[in-house]
Amino acid sequence: MKTINLPSGAGLSRRDALRRAASAGALISLGPLAGFGVSTAEAAEEALGKFPKHPQWKFTFVNHVTTNPFFVPTRYGAEDACALLGCSYQWTGSEKSIATDMVNALNTAVSAGVDGIAVCLVDLAAFNDPVEKALKAGIPVVSYNADAKGNKRLCYIGQDLFQSGKGLGERIIELVPEGEVVGFIATPGQLNIQPRLDGAKAAIKESGKNITLNEIASGAALNDEVSAVEAYYAGHPNIKGMFAVDAGSTAAVAKAMAAHELQKKGVHAGGFDLLPTTLEAISKGDLDFTIDQQPYLQGFYTVMVLFLYKISGGLTGPSDIDTGLSFLTKANVEPFLKTQSRYEGNSSEEKVLKRSGAI
Amino acid sequence: MAKDVADSFSRPQDSPRRVEHRGLARRVGLSLLHSREASIAIAGIVLVVYFQTTAPAFLSPGNIANLAGYAATTAIIAAGEVMVLISGEVDLSVGQVYALSPFVMYYAHEAGVPFVLAILLGLMVASIVGIINGLLTVVLRIPSFIATLGTFYLINGFTLTISGGFPVQPKAGPTITTTFGGNAVSQSLWAIGIALVFQFVLRKMRWGLHTIATGGNLLGASEVGVKVGVIKVGNFILCSILGGLAGTLDAFRIGSIDPLAGGSEIMFMAIASAVIGGTLLTGGSGTIIGAFFGAIVLGILKDGFTLSGVSAYTFDMILGGAILITMLINVRLSLLRAAGGGQ
Amino acid sequence: MSKEVLRTEHVAKSFGAVTALEDVSIHLSKGEVLGLLGDNGAGKSTLMKILTGFHRPSGGKIYFEGIEIELKSVSHARSLGIEPVYQDLALVNGLNVYHNMFLQREIMYGGIFRILNDGAMRERAKKQLKEMGVHIPSVDVEIAKLSGGQRQAIAVARSVYANAKVLLLDEPTAAMGVKESTMILDLVRRLKEKGEVSIIIVAHNYAQIFDFCDRINLLQNGKITFDQRTNDTSVEQLTSLVVNEYRAARESIIRP
Repeated sequence: MKTINLPSGAGLSRRDALRRAASAGALISLGPLAGFGVSTAEAAEEALGKFPKHPQWKFTFVNHVTTNPFFVPTRYGAEDACALLGCSYQWTGSEKSIATDMVNALNTAVSAGVDGIAVCLVDLAAFNDPVEKALKAGIPVVSYNADAKGNKRLCYIGQDLFQSGKGLGERIIELVPEGEVVGFIATPGQLNIQPRLDGAKAAIKESGKNITLNEIASGAALNDEVSAVEAYYAGHPNIKGMFAVDAGSTAAVAKAMAAHELQKKGVHAGGFDLLPTTLEAISKGDLDFTIDQQPYLQGFYTVMVLFLYKISGGLTGPSDIDTGLSFLTKANVEPFLKTQSRYEGNSSEEKVLKRSGAI
Repeated sequence: MAKDVADSFSRPQDSPRRVEHRGLARRVGLSLLHSREASIAIAGIVLVVYFQTTAPAFLSPGNIANLAGYAATTAIIAAGEVMVLISGEVDLSVGQVYALSPFVMYYAHEAGVPFVLAILLGLMVASIVGIINGLLTVVLRIPSFIATLGTFYLINGFTLTISGGFPVQPKAGPTITTTFGGNAVSQSLWAIGIALVFQFVLRKMRWGLHTIATGGNLLGASEVGVKVGVIKVGNFILCSILGGLAGTLDAFRIGSIDPLAGGSEIMFMAIASAVIGGTLLTGGSGTIIGAFFGAIVLGILKDGFTLSGVSAYTFDMILGGAILITMLINVRLSLLRAAGGGQ
Repeated sequence: MSKEVLRTEHVAKSFGAVTALEDVSIHLSKGEVLGLLGDNGAGKSTLMKILTGFHRPSGGKIYFEGIEIELKSVSHARSLGIEPVYQDLALVNGLNVYHNMFLQREIMYGGIFRILNDGAMRERAKKQLKEMGVHIPSVDVEIAKLSGGQRQAIAVARSVYANAKVLLLDEPTAAMGVKESTMILDLVRRLKEKGEVSIIIVAHNYAQIFDFCDRINLLQNGKITFDQRTNDTSVEQLTSLVVNEYRAARESIIRP
């Protein structure tokens, strides 16, 4: 029999030492994890407004750019609705628009048996099977911010993307009678923004005007987008208009317009969403317009839809909700600049915002 | 003294045969504990227990299938990275080959090539990237970190260009889809199979032995006549092919081929799997089975936390902390192993 | 007269502008142990690397067993039976004893798949080490855990197993204490007694190797300046030669 050489003089046999290390390690790993918002198994029963008592339903939002500032108001919207209705939400998905990560998160939510799932359908095919699986498991699924044809989700809450693109196109035609313009898009092909570019192209084509819209990808990370816009402008100094179809690219365009004082040179620009850089640029005149898709509502209404589905046993709730397409220009941008609120995402304070005058 | 130790394991009334059986079981058990892979396996078990207690759905069949989604393709890429790491190099570009191969397969199929051949074509293109990585490192003597960083961007740009930045869908029938990663079972079988095959290559074949020699003592190995250049290039090729295979399997799993897929995230996860599984970043030592467990541990962490309802902002903090803690456990156990004079 | 195994004639080697060897003519007979001495930078390691096929000479000829040859590579030299035992031992820390011993010459199961036959290698390694009188607790141990002397012994054993005809030992006891050095030198002595292997041993410590070398060569400034049988000379004579070299060098610095 082979003997085992124990280290001479060791107070602890190796087996004991290994056991101790393993259990110590386990205890260490449990410690810090305890305080991080891990939900407990019991459901709280809440009765709010006239609604009857119900368990604290949990909804999982699966997002494609979880840390992107655009969705901060969406989270506030979801948070406010949850507080109103006695529910809770989880915000997960992918940081860099990676479909496999989102699919994994969706599948995990199904295994966890959550009460509702909201997902940005940024890919035409990737989410069809997972959504079907969720529905088969009895979990309601809705899409928000981006929608995909052929997916079995119960409804879509967000902007009508193609129509908003057409709106963009019509604005471009108003501002730039003819010539070359560029349309920046963070991640081509992604269903939350590509339809806008398609809509713009369609509108321009329909008008018959002599405008060429060049599509340029600017990347999903804000810093990359600024570099991409700068680089493009350096190579095309005679461009007549710079436009963008997502929040980050729009901010990047705003920065470039300001840095090179392009409005003075007769270049026009505009885009989507209300990042602070964008709003400031509109107020200063560097950007002609931006289009608001009201991200707060994309969180708020989504929770309401899922809540109603649950409390009515599936009888009511889902309905496509268009969160709007409003143009912000120098004329009406002031209130957005003056205030910092949950609705815009730049403040987490709960407060009442006052307005006066005609609407 | 050895005799005293031996005696202390047997009791006076045992017949010699019984002593031998119990000794054998103990020997096997202890030798398993002494293996490199033991520490990461223990960490994995600790995590499974933790998550099962905090989220009972963890070990449900549905969630075990999810784990395959989190871990399988990372494990496959990790196997390739282990070989490259042991040989003394690193491959940062593998996440981009992951995105490229399925596109090559797609365009080949659109051009009329039958699917299996198209997949092989995708893997062939992957191997070309591996050859490039190898030649840059071995012949042009560019440190592999830089060389593969360069190919990382090159391949990324190339993939975006040929795809126009648009994702596409593989239009394969159910047999092809299922065989090539369409569901959790398929993915798991691929990952396990590759782990076993490559562990065998590493430990039982000349190629693996020479890879360890190349990474452990480059000058010495070449002095003895080991073809270190061939070893390095060969392992780069293997790594790229596995990257391309992983990308193809994931493309069939989610039904979408996306130029944004893979990238740096999965590459870091694969290297992390290799390292927490017991492969040295400095080269000369490693284990494929360990990397396999490492990938599972990372998958358990991600799946477990998502299952428990952790949201994105805190998610990254917790994941980072948990990886560090897991590595700490690993290092501690390895030191114990080394002190005791294990294998 | 013993059979000639290895001979060089006017071998020279330059690396760019640096001349490492100017004119080196040495010879080695079968079963002979030749001690190659010289200061750092004299060119000893370069000469060894030429003899093992690692470097190609810039000039001169090499004869193996009487026939002029060109050593094309390390593998070529090894195939002839010229085996180096390097200063860094060319051992791989992460591998065990028998894998190190058989590196590049592994025993494998037949067929196109190069599967290692660990069992056979383990047994042969044990046998080889026993024959050489080397005591190692287990051939399964990672060599990183062995002492310097044991590692050196394995490196030598590797070469002997390979049926080396010529062993080239480059500073074998350089990094070792007295006890370890003795072990390795005993090993060399035993090999010499067997008479099958011819050895060139490069060293610094004259006293150490003096008693078992048959002949001594002194390499100074890229040339062989001394070639005597050890019976015909003494440690003192060698030392005075080296001291003279120092003196000459110092004077050339003071009076350029």
